[in-house]
Amino acid sequence: MRTPDLIDTLANSATPVRRLRPPVLRAALWLLMAAAVLLLLAVAHGVRPDLSTKLHQQIFVAGMVLALATAILAAIAAFKLNLVDNSRWWALLPAPALALWVSTIGYGCLTDWVSIGPDGIRMGEAIRCFATLLLTSVPLSLAMLIMLRHAAALRPTAVSVVGGFAVAAITSFALSLVHDLDATIMILIWNLGTAAIIAGLASAFGRQALAWVASRVLPGLFQSPIR
Amino acid sequence: MPERRQPGPHLSLVKADNPPRPGEQVDWSKRMALAQGGDREQYRALLLEIEPYIRSIAKRCFKYPADAEDAVQDVLLTVHSVRHTYDPQRPFAPWLAAIANRRVIDRLRSETRKKAREIELTLEHESFSREAFAHETFSQAATNHDGIAERALHEAIGKLPPEQRDAIRMLKLSEMSLKEASRMSGRSIAALKVATHRAVTNLRKLLKGGQPS
Repeated sequence: MRTPDLIDTLANSATPVRRLRPPVLRAALWLLMAAAVLLLLAVAHGVRPDLSTKLHQQIFVAGMVLALATAILAAIAAFKLNLVDNSRWWALLPAPALALWVSTIGYGCLTDWVSIGPDGIRMGEAIRCFATLLLTSVPLSLAMLIMLRHAAALRPTAVSVVGGFAVAAITSFALSLVHDLDATIMILIWNLGTAAIIAGLASAFGRQALAWVASRVLPGLFQSPIR
Repeated sequence: MPERRQPGPHLSLVKADNPPRPGEQVDWSKRMALAQGGDREQYRALLLEIEPYIRSIAKRCFKYPADAEDAVQDVLLTVHSVRHTYDPQRPFAPWLAAIANRRVIDRLRSETRKKAREIELTLEHESFSREAFAHETFSQAATNHDGIAERALHEAIGKLPPEQRDAIRMLKLSEMSLKEASRMSGRSIAALKVATHRAVTNLRKLLKGGQPS
């Protein structure tokens, strides 16, 4: 297809579109959704029995607060990055909170390892933990993927990774709230693994996804390669 | 979005890394805002106006005009599919420049990947194949009146080491794709490419009277 013909086709198919809301507002919407998931989880599962004593431990409280901060900042950064004319440096917004949060994880793991020994983790708890992890991260990842789909052809990797951090931090917060087991490393591996898969899929199929979306808008136009 | 045309050029909009001439993009932001509201004529005018700018970026990055044209169309399609992400409060040119750069870089990357796994046919390959295999298969060609060169080539292919001989037969004589040949022979695509390359070098030597290495 010649470029002038393409322009004609695009112009003729231009229907009114609704502008995206500001990124911070969209991030807030996603965080609200995350809060709803956490609430449902807490109601269905109940919070961990030793929560009141745990809340007196500084390291636990610091970990929770930093996880939450990471989630909020990463969500804002992901929605900012989703708009292509925003600077790439937004990706660094959650970095300080993330670094501090990860440092508390390292400490927690070490003390747990020392206190309960290498075979102290019971299998049953780990599986229940994993179920909570899925219950939190799958709906939130899906929601984020749908909300950030515009980045598929533009910045798939950065957006998916930063979004993955947001989901990971929320999931970790949820697990610390309902399970008395430090599973943060498992969560990070799982969520960043998911983020990596999503980023890989997006960069591999970004163009195809775009062509698919475009084919919904302009049926019959997209026989690749377009010439 | 209410339309309010202000007199004079909006120089504040010119903020991109590679901004087009100021006079050209005066109304882009406004045009896009109207296009978002469904104004097709404004949208068409906008696309026509931004096209030369996108082409100037694409031309700098692609050697062949057809590749540059594909990139221009890709950028136009991307602009179309993400037009609702543009905020008329912000300058248009950086938004467009960011999209154009992203798409061009993506295309350059995929082109590099493609080059890494495919052998580009040079003029030598073409003249070689035209002389030898233009209209008929090799065995038929060898029997016809100008089959001397073909016979020499056939013999030269016969003298190649087995893996090179098989590679050249599958890829050049039977015109299989690398993937098909890889499936048939059970050898990796990289190995087939290496074998083909060596075979062509050896054939050149053999036809000049040398020995295969």
